Amino acid sequence: MPVSGATAVAARPRSTNGALTRVLIVDDHPMVRDIIRLACSDRSELEVIGEAGTGPEALDKCRTLSPDVLVLDLGLPGISGLDVIRQLRREESALRILVVSGRGDRSAIFESARVGADGYLEKTGSVQDIAAAVEAVASGTQVFSVDHQRIAHEVLGELARKSREAAFMVSSLTRRERQILQLIAQGLTSRQMASTLGVSQRTVETHVANLYDKLDVRTRVQAVHRGIELGLIVMGEWWRAEQNA
Amino acid sequence: MTVATEAPATAPPRPDPQRLGVILVEPQAVVRAGIALLASAQPDMEVLVEASHAQEALQSLKSLSRKAGMVVVIDLALDGEKDSLWLIRSLREQFPSLPLLACGSYRDDAQVSKALFVGADGFVDTRVPPEEFIDAIRRTARGEVILSGVPRNWLGRIADRLESPAPRRSVLTARELEVLTVAVEGLTARQIGARLGVRERTVTTHLSRIYKKLGARSRIGAVVAATTAGLLSIQSGT
Repeated sequence: MPVSGATAVAARPRSTNGALTRVLIVDDHPMVRDIIRLACSDRSELEVIGEAGTGPEALDKCRTLSPDVLVLDLGLPGISGLDVIRQLRREESALRILVVSGRGDRSAIFESARVGADGYLEKTGSVQDIAAAVEAVASGTQVFSVDHQRIAHEVLGELARKSREAAFMVSSLTRRERQILQLIAQGLTSRQMASTLGVSQRTVETHVANLYDKLDVRTRVQAVHRGIELGLIVMGEWWRAEQNA
Repeated sequence: MTVATEAPATAPPRPDPQRLGVILVEPQAVVRAGIALLASAQPDMEVLVEASHAQEALQSLKSLSRKAGMVVVIDLALDGEKDSLWLIRSLREQFPSLPLLACGSYRDDAQVSKALFVGADGFVDTRVPPEEFIDAIRRTARGEVILSGVPRNWLGRIADRLESPAPRRSVLTARELEVLTVAVEGLTARQIGARLGVRERTVTTHLSRIYKKLGARSRIGAVVAATTAGLLSIQSGT
């Protein structure tokens, strides 16, 4: 799959010239592992050096066998495929990772690209596709189909929009509304809030209504959740509320 | 710059609504000319505006009668008070559905993630091959999000930047934070005072304020609260 850009395909040197590409296959279904192994056996440059059925086993074998390419399922027992990639990416190895997943949803595709997978294939693809993708990934090419790449970028765009809207929402809150949110987080009733702030209960209720409106929530729990998400609630207070509960 | 003659021998052709109208905002004259030439050479594109700074771009856009079938290409290198991010933010506010493609050449993803955050629909590195640049313009106009010509790990880095929670305003003063950081080590108020070069009494005053602000009743409570709030990072091994 074409990779855009000048900096994208600076292929790190793989195994020494002529040597085989060492492949580790990770999937919790033995049958899927067999199929991938079969696909690789058709290619003279690929050598399957091991298999794993769980996340921890995958990490373990990556460290002991140091494969060139890891063919990885996302849904694994123990540690998820995404977390396996996250951990491996912290280790600064030249390992290439090809995700072969039963999932075709936006989140799986985006998160795989985000944590640093070199390619993404759905299990609906053909066996030949898998072998070709392993070879492509081994040579330093990214294997995301045009559709998968579009989806990953789309989700990134949504993330940017949400983050922009959240910042706008935060800036739209008044000092009083922030205060009220803090008090809600502490578990105060409107009556208690009114006496704390020295205003009428009715005024408090108006503030709460405006606050809910701006945060786009309908309950106290949702408001607190949103507030923490947006970094609006000082956790010290929240923590105390938790302790007193 | 002065206009030598008023004779419009080559009046600009009337905008053709069939073609994608490109608004180009690029501070470097040579780069601007290059992109303009490239875009004009496309049968489905025409350059409606060429601007070298933000306000010029905004004004030209407002004066355009055309309201759709346009895309704005903004180099992130506009600087000054009205910089590229200012322009993107302003355009996003005033023209919510106008496709905005940021461009430039960066070694660092921070600028790109800021551009997306303030409202750009995508980014294309100016070092990509010309046809890829043009393709990025077309796809942005179609509503796609573009991230082209950047290192492969940028998607993740930009996503992480966008998702990091809004910077929390620290409820503690710098001095209080300092006191608390030392207090984590389990020193007495006297020892903390000696370390920071203040009196023991000053330290206890700081500590009681910290407790109050964090709603904590003990030193450990304050440390837990501050850590949970992301105010304090405890080094392992201390």
